[in-house]
Amino acid sequence: MKKIYLHPLPIRIWHWVNAGGFIFLILTGAQIRGIIKLFSSVETAVEIHSWLGFILLANYCIWLFYYFLTVKIKIYIPPLHHPVEFAKKALRQAKFYGFGIMVGDQNPHHSTPDNKFNPMQQVSYLMIMALLIPVQIITGLFLWDPKLFSPIVTPVGIQIVSAVHVFLWIFFSAFIIVHFYLATLGHTTWAHIIAMFTGYEEEHEEGHGHGEEHGHSH
Amino acid sequence: MSDRKKILIVLFFVFIIFPLCVSSAKGVLSDEAKVCLTCHSHTGMSKTLENKEVLSLYVDKEEFAKSAHNSIDCNGCHTGYLAAHLAKKKQIKSIKEYSVNASQVCSMCHPDDQLKKIPIHSSVMTKAACVECHGSHNIKKMAEWKKGINETQYCLTCHRHDLSMTLSSGEALFLSINESVYKSSVHGSLLCSSCHTDFSTTKHPVRTFKNKREYSALVTKSCSMCHSDEQLRKSPVHSSLLAKASCVECHGSHSIKGIAAQKAAAPETQYCLSCHKGKLSMSFKSGESVSVFVDELSLRSSVHGKLRCTECHTEFSKSKHPVKVFKDRRDYSITTSDICGRCHSDAYTKYKGSIHLSLLKSGNLKAPACTDCHGFHSVSKAGNDLGLASCNKCHSDMKNSYEASVHNRARIQGKKDAPVCSSCHNAHNIESTRMTTKIKEGCFKCHKDMGKVHDKWLKNPPITLSTFAEAHFDVVSCAACHSPNAKRRIYLSLSDCKTGKPLTEEEVIKILNIDAAGLMGKIDINSDGSVDGKEVWNIFWLLLNKGVRTTFMGKMDVSNATEAHQLGTKVEATRDCEKCHQPNSPYFENVFVAISKADGKTTLLPAKKGVLNSIYSIIPIRKFYAIGGTNISLFDILFYVALIGGIAVPIGHITLRIVFSPIKSLRRMGKGGKK
Repeated sequence: MKKIYLHPLPIRIWHWVNAGGFIFLILTGAQIRGIIKLFSSVETAVEIHSWLGFILLANYCIWLFYYFLTVKIKIYIPPLHHPVEFAKKALRQAKFYGFGIMVGDQNPHHSTPDNKFNPMQQVSYLMIMALLIPVQIITGLFLWDPKLFSPIVTPVGIQIVSAVHVFLWIFFSAFIIVHFYLATLGHTTWAHIIAMFTGYEEEHEEGHGHGEEHGHSH
Repeated sequence: MSDRKKILIVLFFVFIIFPLCVSSAKGVLSDEAKVCLTCHSHTGMSKTLENKEVLSLYVDKEEFAKSAHNSIDCNGCHTGYLAAHLAKKKQIKSIKEYSVNASQVCSMCHPDDQLKKIPIHSSVMTKAACVECHGSHNIKKMAEWKKGINETQYCLTCHRHDLSMTLSSGEALFLSINESVYKSSVHGSLLCSSCHTDFSTTKHPVRTFKNKREYSALVTKSCSMCHSDEQLRKSPVHSSLLAKASCVECHGSHSIKGIAAQKAAAPETQYCLSCHKGKLSMSFKSGESVSVFVDELSLRSSVHGKLRCTECHTEFSKSKHPVKVFKDRRDYSITTSDICGRCHSDAYTKYKGSIHLSLLKSGNLKAPACTDCHGFHSVSKAGNDLGLASCNKCHSDMKNSYEASVHNRARIQGKKDAPVCSSCHNAHNIESTRMTTKIKEGCFKCHKDMGKVHDKWLKNPPITLSTFAEAHFDVVSCAACHSPNAKRRIYLSLSDCKTGKPLTEEEVIKILNIDAAGLMGKIDINSDGSVDGKEVWNIFWLLLNKGVRTTFMGKMDVSNATEAHQLGTKVEATRDCEKCHQPNSPYFENVFVAISKADGKTTLLPAKKGVLNSIYSIIPIRKFYAIGGTNISLFDILFYVALIGGIAVPIGHITLRIVFSPIKSLRRMGKGGKK
């Protein structure tokens, strides 16, 4: 069994800050909407939500700078110049998640620092990081102080801004559960999760192990 | 002076001076009169009375000798006066008092019963003393006196004095005539009986009148003896005035000058006032009327006191007086306001955009024009009291709530900036408070930097910006938080996105090409008396299909105007975020769809409780958002579905993995066997 250094320190820090932030944002968001009562008041929930929003905004910037400055952003970009090959790989990956993993097939994708994500991860993480999180951050900012951003908020309509923000909150709530489950699909249940703390992913020498969520972090 | 000296003086007069005088006196005068005239025949003899009037004590010896009383001793009328000369000099307050006292002596020979047989005496006796009409030492027998005097002088004998009669209405009708003014008038050469045909030197009927109006009407008939109606009606103003006013109300009675002379002599304002100081009124086609009386004193003391009439009433002058015709009082009010606008253009421009003018134009007779608040000719400098007094004329229902407010308490304490009506609502550009957020601008005039003041608690970390508080100000009225016991409501006003202004009922009707009755059917489709989310969407969609982008602008406000004025102190204000920002907040239970009308009024349609939470409302009510209050309920359901879905994926996947685990084990074993 050999170890691959898959997750550099900045990415690990970013990941766990993001993970913690997401969970609390989802929970405070639920309290702001009056679904749960976790904190003493709506006012407290709003304060926490706003603080975390700005923290995750800064965190997103760290991620963006890191990946752009190290040119590692390319790991998120699907090889669209080979669309047929990429589609085949994606289909193979989907088949693996849908059936192969259950009967002991090998993961068709083997993570390396330069090819960290399988095709499905690549598409979904690119969508999340390039579109959904920025949209969530921007709509969050608009709702945080609609008057400050009134040149945009007023013509669009704050209720529409809110609808987008809430819709993404619903999406991320479901996503984080699935994401956590997928993280347990390494060669052991905790393999990927431990890797996200240590940075080293263990590659199973016997057929490269059973890890399905290699490099699950984005 | 000692008694001894007084006696010596009297003896000196009686035994030395009296014989000398007797020898020089003429005619039929009594001896006693001759003695008195020794002194009283000197023209300069007078006495200064207490009120500083000078009472002449001179008696014309010749006239007295020819008078009806020439044979009567002085003491016969001036009873006790000889003794008075010896005693301390009599103190007399005024000529009037002296006249009244002196006249009392007349009744010794001319008893009241006898005098009252003549009707005119009966009424005049209470007004004037005998001597005021008949004179004193020159009294002639009536028949002889009448022969020797012309009629005018005869009448003036009494009427030059301060005479008046009280009419049934209680009004006093002055009967005194200034002789010199009369003589210089155009009628100065006429005899009194030329106009007062019932009167002469031998006739003086006693008449009673209900009021001055009745008397004036009678006098006017005298005028028409010379000035025919036909002649007078040649002037259009006369023609309209003849039915309203009597001649004397404009032209006066005994001081009438020629019109040309009157125009030349009188300053313009005075010329106008010669008619308008009378109780004139003008009638409208509708049958209403309005007073065109001008109180000169009020006019002079007004801010326009130094202006000439024609500076406002430009179509009028000494030579021009067009007859203006107005449909009704409202038409007149609007036209009058136009006059004000010539100088006060700023205020008038603001007024033109106000709800007051909109109401006026829509036919609301109570809606105010300039003059309704400022008055016509008694315009005073605009101040706080003007606002309170004039607004209360119509908005008296706000009086009590304002008086109970912190604002009025400050006003009573004498605080200089304590607000009155116009401080918040403005004086001229007043809008319907339900359809505007401008009312807040009124608050902010005094309560400056409210963004900064509120962001001490109304803040959103991590950065404190005043815009966060201001975002609240855009949709929450000040009173909604600062009126402690108010019931809050949400008003959704249909607005045109293009203009940013409320879309009026009339505009909606025109766009949808329906009638007024049909509009309600388009809004409340199911006719259940309240508007739900689907119906909000429907009207939005109908208008969008006609090319008009609309939105329902939301605003939280108090439930009525009374609550809006019951503003409490700062500590009484609502500061709890959770009162608004929770899904079950009572503040969001009462929602109304507000549609303005062209006249500034608003139609309020109750909306269903969940209208703000309907998926249909997202786009139509897209500009109104409040955490908790405007949560879209469907999103909460979606959240639960997503959670269940998110949990179902791993559970399902794990289940399948367990189901297929024997195959997996077999395959592993196979691989292991090979190895």
